[in-house]
Amino acid sequence: MASILQYLVYGLQLGSVYALLALGYTMVYGIVRMLNVAHGDFLMIGAFGTYFISKLFTNMVVDGTYPVIAVVAIILIAMVLTGSIAVAVEAIAYRPLRNKPRMIALITAVGVSMFLENFPRALPFIGPNPRSFPTLFITEHFTVAGASVTNVQIIMIVFAIVTMTALYLVVNRTKIGSQMRAVSMDRDAALLMGVNVNQVISITFFVGGALAAVSGICYASAYPQVDVYMGSWLGNMSFVAAVLGGIGDIRGAMLGGFILGIAQILATAVNSTFGYAVGFIILIVILLVKPAGIMGKTTIEKV
Amino acid sequence: MSMLEVRDLHVSYGAIHAVQGVSFDLNEGETVALIGSNGAGKSTILRTISGLEHAKSGSIKFQGSELTKMKAHKIVELGIAHVPEGRRVFPGMTVRENLLMGANLVKDKEKIRLTLEHVFEIFPRLKEREKQPAGTLSGGEQQMLALGRALMTDGSLLMLDEPSMGLAPIVVEDIFRVIKKINEAGTSILLIEQNAFLALQTADRAYVLETGKISMHGDAKDLLKDPRVKEAYLGA
Repeated sequence: MASILQYLVYGLQLGSVYALLALGYTMVYGIVRMLNVAHGDFLMIGAFGTYFISKLFTNMVVDGTYPVIAVVAIILIAMVLTGSIAVAVEAIAYRPLRNKPRMIALITAVGVSMFLENFPRALPFIGPNPRSFPTLFITEHFTVAGASVTNVQIIMIVFAIVTMTALYLVVNRTKIGSQMRAVSMDRDAALLMGVNVNQVISITFFVGGALAAVSGICYASAYPQVDVYMGSWLGNMSFVAAVLGGIGDIRGAMLGGFILGIAQILATAVNSTFGYAVGFIILIVILLVKPAGIMGKTTIEKV
Repeated sequence: MSMLEVRDLHVSYGAIHAVQGVSFDLNEGETVALIGSNGAGKSTILRTISGLEHAKSGSIKFQGSELTKMKAHKIVELGIAHVPEGRRVFPGMTVRENLLMGANLVKDKEKIRLTLEHVFEIFPRLKEREKQPAGTLSGGEQQMLALGRALMTDGSLLMLDEPSMGLAPIVVEDIFRVIKKINEAGTSILLIEQNAFLALQTADRAYVLETGKISMHGDAKDLLKDPRVKEAYLGA
């Protein structure tokens, strides 16, 4: 029983990484109907960004760790940096192709992903070797009903849930949120309502990039190593999470992320080589049984 | 001075030269109709005025501002409301959310409230369905919503693209009665219709388009009696 609970804690932790990343995937898909295959690489940029930004704050280190104010600053700077890179990627690589067939944008995204992974790899100060991620939080262990829980895990899971709730409320209750929904439903009609579509798409990419950075920080805090390819498979898994939940749906991304995280940890517990495969087994099953995903519904629309 | 002044407008989609040197005017308070068969370039003209398509050459002036180089969302700000072909309501939003989307650029909350009340007065059906997703409305109701949403933008020129398309005759009558009312209340209207009879009955003046060019224009009443128009568009 205790071990099941323990797996659940690990699952939720990994799930919050997937969920935060899947949110960006799903929002971008919702608004431009495009699979941004390079989305996972934003996670890597966020993690590497944090690595370098934290170097700038080394003189604030006390007892091998950073004061809270420095941690908050590091995270915020990494979020803004990654969000800005995501905006730039959209403006440079995707915007010129927006009215072309979707396959062209998809292939471009694959190219962007390769660039984002291999360009830093060629830079002398980044390179191909993994770096160890700085300790941003002092880990404290608690024992809850026989399962070991750390403060870092609690912070991550709570932060993921709060972020997703906030995002859900922004999309459904605010002006920028309704503009986003309008663009996602009918871009031309949104233009005719005076919506600045380019700006709305940029904001969406910014939010997606910033969340990917948080996701990268969460992941690297749990598995303290960063390398240029880390975003690739995490991106694949979060894509599965987004499809599982129903791509385009924010609650779905969150649900899919947590389900996938828990499933992967449980599968790894059974057989350590099985963890990554379970994601794709879930993907195949969901595509066969309910292609629109858990939250996705077939839209009824009279013409 | 005319409110809208289109001069020698050319628009192409790739190799297709859809609009070939069209010029026309619309004066403040008028209803002007563009009639013509399918593919004559009517919708393209409206989409170019709104900034959804780009002109190859020529000019479009609205109250003195040149529109051809302007972004679509800026054009709405100047006061041009466009009800696109096929209604294009936001299917996943409720009727109310759709209408409020129309007021996207209106800052004054009180004004939004009053316009919303006004729209509900014109279309009581929309009030009944206020909380219903727009995708579940009937075609006629969607057309009312598209019109209401355009009214919410608080524009001074309303452009309508085929408001009668796919609707039952009785609903079409209703819609055109409302269009006349909107015009009487001071909004200028640029109307596109395949149903030439209906368009000529509603409009003050009309232009006839044939394969991207204007072939005739004049008072709607005169065109209604013109033998060439009768033969080509009125089926008489």
